[in-house]
Amino acid sequence: MEKKEKIGVYVCHCGTNIAGVVNVGEVSAWAADKLKDQGVVIARDYKFMCSSLGQELIQKDIKEMGLTRVVVAACSPHLHEKTFRNASKGAGLNPYLTELVSIREQDSWVHTDKVAATEKAKAIISGGVSRVIHHEALEPLHVPIHPDTLVVGGGIAGIQAALEIADAGFHVYLVEREPTIGGHMAQFDKTFPTLDCSACILTPKMVDAGNHPNITLLTYSEVEKVDGYVGSFTVTIRKRARGIKEADCTGCGICWEKCPKKVVDNVFEAGMGNRKAVYVPFPQAVPKYPVIDRINCTYYIKGTCKACEKFCPTNAIDFAQEDEIMNVQVGNVILATGYDPFDSRRITQYGYGRLANVFTSLEFERLCNAAGPTGGNIVLRDGKTAPQVVGIVHCVGSRDKNYNEYCSAICCMQSLKFAHLVRERTGAEVYNFYIDIRTAAKSYEEFYHRLLDEGTHFIRGKVAEISDAVRLPGEEGKLIIQVEDTLTGNQLRVPVDMAILSAGLEPRRDSKAVAKLFGISCSADGWFIERHPKLDPVATVTEGIYIAGCVQGPKDIPASVAQGAAAAARILGKIQQKEVALEPVRATVNEAQCSGCRICNNVCPFNAILFHEDKMVSEVNPALCQGCGTCVAACPAGAISGTGFSNEQILSQIDGLLFLNIPKKEAVAA
Amino acid sequence: MTNTLTFGQEVENLLQAEEGEPLRNCIQCGTCSGTCPVAGFMDYTPRQMIAMINQNMKDQVLESNTFWYCASCYHCTVRCPQEINITELMYALKRYSIWNHRHKAGLVGPDFSEAFVKMIVRGGRSFEPVLAPSYIFSVGMRGFLLEIQNATELLLKGRLPVIPARIKRLDNFKRMIGRIIPMGGLE
Amino acid sequence: MKEYAYFPGCSLEKMAVSYHMSTRETTRKLGIKLNEIDDWNCCGATTYFYIDELLAYTLCARNLAIAEQTGLDVVAPCSACYKNMYFTVAHLKKDPDLAEHVNFALEEDNLHFTGDINVKHLIEVFCQDVGPEELKGKVTKPLTGVRVAPYYGCQIVRPQKEKEDVEQPQFFEDMLSAIGATPVNYPLKMRCCGGSLMISSRTAALSMVRNLLQCAVDSQAAVVATACPMCQVNLECYQQQVNQEFGTNFSMPILYFTQLVGLAMGIPAKKLGFGKEFVTLAPALLQPGQVVPVPD
Repeated sequence: MEKKEKIGVYVCHCGTNIAGVVNVGEVSAWAADKLKDQGVVIARDYKFMCSSLGQELIQKDIKEMGLTRVVVAACSPHLHEKTFRNASKGAGLNPYLTELVSIREQDSWVHTDKVAATEKAKAIISGGVSRVIHHEALEPLHVPIHPDTLVVGGGIAGIQAALEIADAGFHVYLVEREPTIGGHMAQFDKTFPTLDCSACILTPKMVDAGNHPNITLLTYSEVEKVDGYVGSFTVTIRKRARGIKEADCTGCGICWEKCPKKVVDNVFEAGMGNRKAVYVPFPQAVPKYPVIDRINCTYYIKGTCKACEKFCPTNAIDFAQEDEIMNVQVGNVILATGYDPFDSRRITQYGYGRLANVFTSLEFERLCNAAGPTGGNIVLRDGKTAPQVVGIVHCVGSRDKNYNEYCSAICCMQSLKFAHLVRERTGAEVYNFYIDIRTAAKSYEEFYHRLLDEGTHFIRGKVAEISDAVRLPGEEGKLIIQVEDTLTGNQLRVPVDMAILSAGLEPRRDSKAVAKLFGISCSADGWFIERHPKLDPVATVTEGIYIAGCVQGPKDIPASVAQGAAAAARILGKIQQKEVALEPVRATVNEAQCSGCRICNNVCPFNAILFHEDKMVSEVNPALCQGCGTCVAACPAGAISGTGFSNEQILSQIDGLLFLNIPKKEAVAA
Repeated sequence: MTNTLTFGQEVENLLQAEEGEPLRNCIQCGTCSGTCPVAGFMDYTPRQMIAMINQNMKDQVLESNTFWYCASCYHCTVRCPQEINITELMYALKRYSIWNHRHKAGLVGPDFSEAFVKMIVRGGRSFEPVLAPSYIFSVGMRGFLLEIQNATELLLKGRLPVIPARIKRLDNFKRMIGRIIPMGGLE
Repeated sequence: MKEYAYFPGCSLEKMAVSYHMSTRETTRKLGIKLNEIDDWNCCGATTYFYIDELLAYTLCARNLAIAEQTGLDVVAPCSACYKNMYFTVAHLKKDPDLAEHVNFALEEDNLHFTGDINVKHLIEVFCQDVGPEELKGKVTKPLTGVRVAPYYGCQIVRPQKEKEDVEQPQFFEDMLSAIGATPVNYPLKMRCCGGSLMISSRTAALSMVRNLLQCAVDSQAAVVATACPMCQVNLECYQQQVNQEFGTNFSMPILYFTQLVGLAMGIPAKKLGFGKEFVTLAPALLQPGQVVPVPD
């Protein structure tokens, strides 16, 4: 008879959460009695096992009774598995020899029948005991952390993160798809609630990032491939060919001055202005080097022109320049790729794209911006008439099951900001049409009051339609905003000269592809998923990959900055520790049984399984493996087992659960 | 013990066959009322109706003309951000109103509807002249005369039916209706 | 040869007989066969739903069950009939319990509804099944210079069925372009005409009709094209009441789209039900090929 383990069973009351439904005294007494044969030498129940006193109970028993296994019956492992494992570790028992079974989320919280719930608790504990016998002492895997970091996305969140890490003395690759960093914030005119000039507060950070000795700025570049795992990622980056020799370019601007080809700038100017085929997106661009747009440049289309080359004083134009592929080693990655604005054309009854003087929020920002297409003058599409009445529509594409159900968080403040700017610059009458005014953060409510003071007309009602079908006197030449003022119950026709649609935020169009590239997931709406919505908003389930800013969900600039800094701090912590311990709960392939069918390779959600062509077997990368168990189930040969969730462990748990360890002769049919 | 239903629950029960989110999901945004082409003529806008139903204000709801003025154009329904089927709600309220014999005084809709339904039961097809008494006296003297003028012109141009059309299998048809609503209930 | 089970609806017998005539003529010329559903009954319009849902579905289901026996899809020229029958099919297919109740009633007429049938609006047949290209091919007298306001109304496009555009569809305009006419930009093309409100809430309906007519005038339309008998009657036969009520001066011709298509295909006007209008047409319209002056 093999040596029996010495098992301690601890049943938590969790106040009345468990004890209110399950008879915890009865359960622990039952365990002490009926599970003796399995090796249970002590069973206790206690009000709050997770408290220090509760943990000390376990530790005392381990030391005094020489326990070799521990089963805690309490809440979900999601919450306190680590607590109890650490408690055991503190008493000298390998943490992985402790099992936490849930008799709260899986029992007391979901049943009202107290008798049945108590019986179920017994079954759950019995399963836990049977299983823990087969646990092995495991050691966490330690992987080294490369001190370099990759930040993808050069908006305010990415810039903040990069600066924090760089200032701490570590190297960062900052990759940005556009020719310049700055993101959407560079397009805005003023920022709420302080009405700071957006570029004025952003450009110092941009310049810092551009000059920082610890930041390698890779603009006009994209990540193509990611291999490896936390601590040692190998990232392939494509540096697209600017057509400019950066070593020679001084940023003097003669090339774009002389370029004869005008192109509608759909990116930075939101289609409201033009740029040249060789261009920098805006004057304060970082880096200062322009880019040749090969799709529109006459040379690439017809082989002629080359005006830029002729006039460049430093001979920095290089039409033959090719994309450069770089491979870099990094320890951690921050994804800060931002958002795309909702396409207001989808709401056809608002007339954007059909009625000239309906503008989107981004278009309006460009109108207001002094460096924008109208020099900061708020005028209608004709380029010269100032509006006398402006309507600002909240909730365009947000809070609407027909488009996006979520609230985009920033549009109320944005709309108030617009109201202020219109009033200040044009003296026009301003109407804001809203469902609710969401001004929740610091100084936001005061900003709303400022707008009330300024005489903004607030009409509570979601705009039904914007039309040019004028009918009543005084409406000629105007846009009619049709809405119900819900506070008075009247249906209104509000004639305006200009309508501004406060469009919502959406995930980037390619967010699913980017998520797949980095091995993380998107929510149903398309935003990247954080590790825990309340307690861990910047980490993801994939070790080493962090998210910051709007890529995680709509938020304002302070929140994006905070997330960027938070992600940076997490990474700096890892870098300082030089190595990180990974959960040893993972899958392993038994090479002898592997037939090389590769089914597991494709089912792994974390791309953690490699295939060795020479040996024709698959291997699980322990650093990437999250222990989800998909491959274990998928393997037709049963060649994959999980450490920490082996077949033996699971089958024993099932047996313990179903048969309650009742000796065969006592068993009766259910 | 009978479980008395709230007015809101009664109305919900009348909306079984239709798809759409429950009325309690209404965020009172006002899109429906902003869209409704008839809102200006209603006692309460569609949005106000929903708020009142959610507050079980049965009397005010049934005493209003709102749902009798709904033209069932469905514009509110396609725009509602909470995907509530507002038009079907209006139908449900009409049904509730008719079967409980409760509606605002002076409305043409209820009488016209009953006349229409009886007409169909009688012949299976529409025959407009039979409907005239239910509304012709409510449009004022000038309206009355213009309506007579209209009818005459339609007649002269061959656009007014003079002989009521009847379907062939009328007996089957009547029994078919009887299987849904016993004939006495409709008369 | 496209063949359909044809559900004319009560209005087409007399009130909207021009629609009926022009439908017959144009479909024949397009090689479409319309087999009138045997012994069809009224679809219930909107009114039956005021009384009882189950009864309303039963009325429609009877027609559909009869049509199913022919194995053909149903086509309805009236928007209300179309909407009622389309959604009867949709709801009964989704809800077997409802279908069971309905079929229980249908037993009295020895009918059974399976749901294996499609319902189309007549304008869908013209715009999709036939399509602008084929239509263009059959045009011999294009309506050049005729400015037409395409009045969709409500119940062709709403409620939404699939993911189609319910706010700014273009299929009616495309069809009018195919027959050589000039579809004007008509902002109120999707707005309700009032429907049965003309009877039950006359003031409201007259106001709605007035807005529609004013908008047509402002859009410089010479004629408004409709696809529903209710819309046509409301917009045309009550112009005098509108004028009396609001002191306006409308005399806008309101025609069925099939009448315009018929003219473009060279079918004689009499056969298309012309001559039954309340608002006399500019004589030039009857001889397409000439520019029609905007009515004042």
